[in-house]
Amino acid sequence: MVRVTVDPLTRVVGPLRLDTEVDENGIIKEARSSNMIFRGFERIYRGQDPRDSILLSQRICGVCPVAHSIAAVNALDELYGVAGSVPKDALVARNINQGLNTVSNHLLHFYILWAPDLANPAYGNVMSTFGDLGASVWKELLGRFAPISYKIGGELIPPGSSYVGVIPMKKRLHDAGAVIGGKMPHQTVTYPGGVTNNPTTSDIQTLSSIMSEVVDFLNKNVISIPFEDWIENTYKASSPKKAVDFFIEHLNELTEMSLQKNDLSRPNGWGDVELYSAFGSELIGEELLGLPISLKHDKMSGYNDLSKIGLLSYGGFYNVGHEGYDPTSPSGDRFQTSGFMTSSLEYHDFDSNKVTENVKHAFYDDYEGDRHPYEGVTEPFTDPDRINYDNFSEEKYTWSKAPRYDGIPCEVGPLSRLLIMKEPLVTGLVQLFRDNNYSPFNSFTRMMARMQELFIITNEMIKWITTDLDPNGRFRVDIDMSMGRDSRGMGLCEAPRGALGHWLITDDESKVANYQIVTPSAWNLSPRDSEGVPGPLEQALVGCRISAVDNWLGVDFSNPTGILHVGRSYDPCITCAVHTIDLTGKNPPGIFRLL
Amino acid sequence: MSEGNTNSDSSVNDLDFLRMDWHKFLKARGSGGSFKLLENYKNDTQGDPDFPVTHVLWIQGAQCTGCSESLLDASNPGLLKAFEILNIDLERHEAFLAHQGLFVDGEPANTSELNSEILLDEISERGNYILMVEGAIANGPEGSGKYFMSGNRSSKDMFKKAAQNADLIIAVGTCAAYGGINTANSDIVDILDYRGVAFTKKDPSKGMLKVLGIDKPVINIPGCPPHPDWIIFTLSAIISGNVKIPDDLPEVLDEFGRPKVFFPPDHNVHKDCPRKEFFKNKEFDSCAGGEKCLLRMGCQAFLAHADCALRKWNDGHSYCVQSGSPCIACVEPDFPDNARPLYSSKKNKKSIKKEGD
Repeated sequence: MVRVTVDPLTRVVGPLRLDTEVDENGIIKEARSSNMIFRGFERIYRGQDPRDSILLSQRICGVCPVAHSIAAVNALDELYGVAGSVPKDALVARNINQGLNTVSNHLLHFYILWAPDLANPAYGNVMSTFGDLGASVWKELLGRFAPISYKIGGELIPPGSSYVGVIPMKKRLHDAGAVIGGKMPHQTVTYPGGVTNNPTTSDIQTLSSIMSEVVDFLNKNVISIPFEDWIENTYKASSPKKAVDFFIEHLNELTEMSLQKNDLSRPNGWGDVELYSAFGSELIGEELLGLPISLKHDKMSGYNDLSKIGLLSYGGFYNVGHEGYDPTSPSGDRFQTSGFMTSSLEYHDFDSNKVTENVKHAFYDDYEGDRHPYEGVTEPFTDPDRINYDNFSEEKYTWSKAPRYDGIPCEVGPLSRLLIMKEPLVTGLVQLFRDNNYSPFNSFTRMMARMQELFIITNEMIKWITTDLDPNGRFRVDIDMSMGRDSRGMGLCEAPRGALGHWLITDDESKVANYQIVTPSAWNLSPRDSEGVPGPLEQALVGCRISAVDNWLGVDFSNPTGILHVGRSYDPCITCAVHTIDLTGKNPPGIFRLL
Repeated sequence: MSEGNTNSDSSVNDLDFLRMDWHKFLKARGSGGSFKLLENYKNDTQGDPDFPVTHVLWIQGAQCTGCSESLLDASNPGLLKAFEILNIDLERHEAFLAHQGLFVDGEPANTSELNSEILLDEISERGNYILMVEGAIANGPEGSGKYFMSGNRSSKDMFKKAAQNADLIIAVGTCAAYGGINTANSDIVDILDYRGVAFTKKDPSKGMLKVLGIDKPVINIPGCPPHPDWIIFTLSAIISGNVKIPDDLPEVLDEFGRPKVFFPPDHNVHKDCPRKEFFKNKEFDSCAGGEKCLLRMGCQAFLAHADCALRKWNDGHSYCVQSGSPCIACVEPDFPDNARPLYSSKKNKKSIKKEGD
């Protein structure tokens, strides 16, 4: 066994360590995910005005700040009893604010954080064994996705066209974020009862114009089919099969048109998603399109035991068909349905009471059983000698707790969301992989779901901005501060990287008595739980081949592209994933006045 | 350049960004655009069209990557263009570059082309770079720094390695400058013990450099996050040679290490507030969504030494008060405690309830 450790896994937010044991065939046998920062974030809320969490929670994550403010404000809406009466236009404004951040996040993740791994020199080596086609593939991967300051063999590689191109687009999305939200990162307008600003007609024009730029960007860089046609034939297809048929047929046409000349350029119809769709997946590229080579990302990060994994969504974006919303997030109340899905794609209604956490393998003193976030108790290690990552056999190895839903580890994020909302293309792709004996949840489907969600949210944003947002509408209801006494609130939302929940309890002076945050990365990057069941990322790493294209050129322990792809496919955010509630255990849950 | 800009351009040509009166700076930027400002800088350097390369080593501590996100929002020129004009070689950055830490059986593996930890060692041993720090540095628990580990070392050790041979350290954002949100008051703040580079809150004796016994010139660019202009123009002033390191720093920085041109000691965000008339007439909003003075909603603009109200954010689109939200003085050394409770004018409750009180 060889121990291969990626520490830190960069191009994520915060320090993440992935520790693996790999056999001589280059197959990962054991894996551990360690979040290596302790910030004690929720403690700063204790004894303070609960509204502080709107702005301060965003400082947990500068990449998805809006989601933290939405989760915080949802908890406050319930705390002050106004969730049912937030005006429709305020919900639309919050949706636009969150939507801009989701689109910006997905672009950042795909192009800046994830795609540079496609330009890993290992792929150059593999492709060089596949003649002119291999050379063409490598030319495109390097020419599009190379990051800045990138060297291979001492030679400085110019940054890729897609990498360079996405930065101005991201900036424009933050410009739009400032129009609707004051500034970005860390917007300022979410407030219990609605939003603090009144978007004007001119704001709506600016937002519309920036959304046109987004659509242009998608058409020029991401896919060669016009945006509207893509939406019509995938997201709005009448069945998952029709969506997948359209997708495969389109790739087929591109392939037939290009292979003779080995021209995989963008002008020849190969947008970034088309290139990745054809060459990222063995099933689609090699088996269905008849290509001689693929990156085989669909053979990475499948779950080995499907009874030990589920998919979870709290429900993303408000349903703007009516005023107010239900804080418990029943399935019909959000644009993206809430729900729990088993790994055999069986849907169940979401029940927030089934969310628990335990600390058996984290650097906190143990407690019996699992606890609901409202009852969270945490006692972090304060002895430096007890904080160690080196010894693979140590029981405790991370600052992240282990969240479970009904006792089951859950993958959260775009793949879970799109399956639970029955999005045709992603549902169809997952079924396609399952029917062909591939793990349906893999690095390829996970990335495709993220890109498909980018299209869907862009499409929905245009509707929210041009149809739903009424500058003459109402943007808030006033709150009665006395309602915040001896109260509690649950804020559920979908951050770009998955299910995000804030739980909040106040005392008889309307100050925070307990505040608990369970983030998407706590779900995905969870350690083993009290039963010893590993978290989703840990499960996904086991069985994965560490070197490029299924160890095509043999095993290179010093360049474990498999670990890099699997880890980054979850869009990890470590600073989100670590938190604390109760240092000394002097405040057992009983003393909170649960209503 | 157009004829109409001649006056402001001539004033731009002989200016030192960091020595300039801040109002004049904003005016010059407004008429010529910062791109022109940078181009002029470039053309002014003794006929040499190119600045010599400036190496930048970026490290992250306890932070949210919001500062890096904000830097990506740089406009006129965009970030990569600015780097090109200034000839900045960003050698290492945890969020943007190809590298990661790689270990095989505990030993560093591969080369600095892919391994961020080997790269960090190589750069820091070579010297000749500006160190940019994003995020606070862990000192806890018990001085070990183990509340933040990365690449088999504590962030304290990582910072020490990176700081020792740096020519200059720029603390980007309030966390790196003063500890920021990581040092917000709580019953465990002393156990966590996060530190800024040269200050912790207002106290220079508690900066991580003092803890480590390292003496280096430091420029603080606070803000949660900082405006991208503040970062790019600070780099410009240094690279152009108009501000000499370390000799000129006492002149251009305030008592908390901030460039006075962006964080004017004699000026604050309130003085340029579009709602100032309401303040004069004592017309205050006490709930969200009004158009009057936000003082009773907790606004701290009169304590915030920054140019937000004129510069505005995200290419001039808006800023906190314009969107109906109170200024929380995020550029100040004692942020966020100075501004809490954020939505109330009662700021006198500095001490929080201790456990068991």
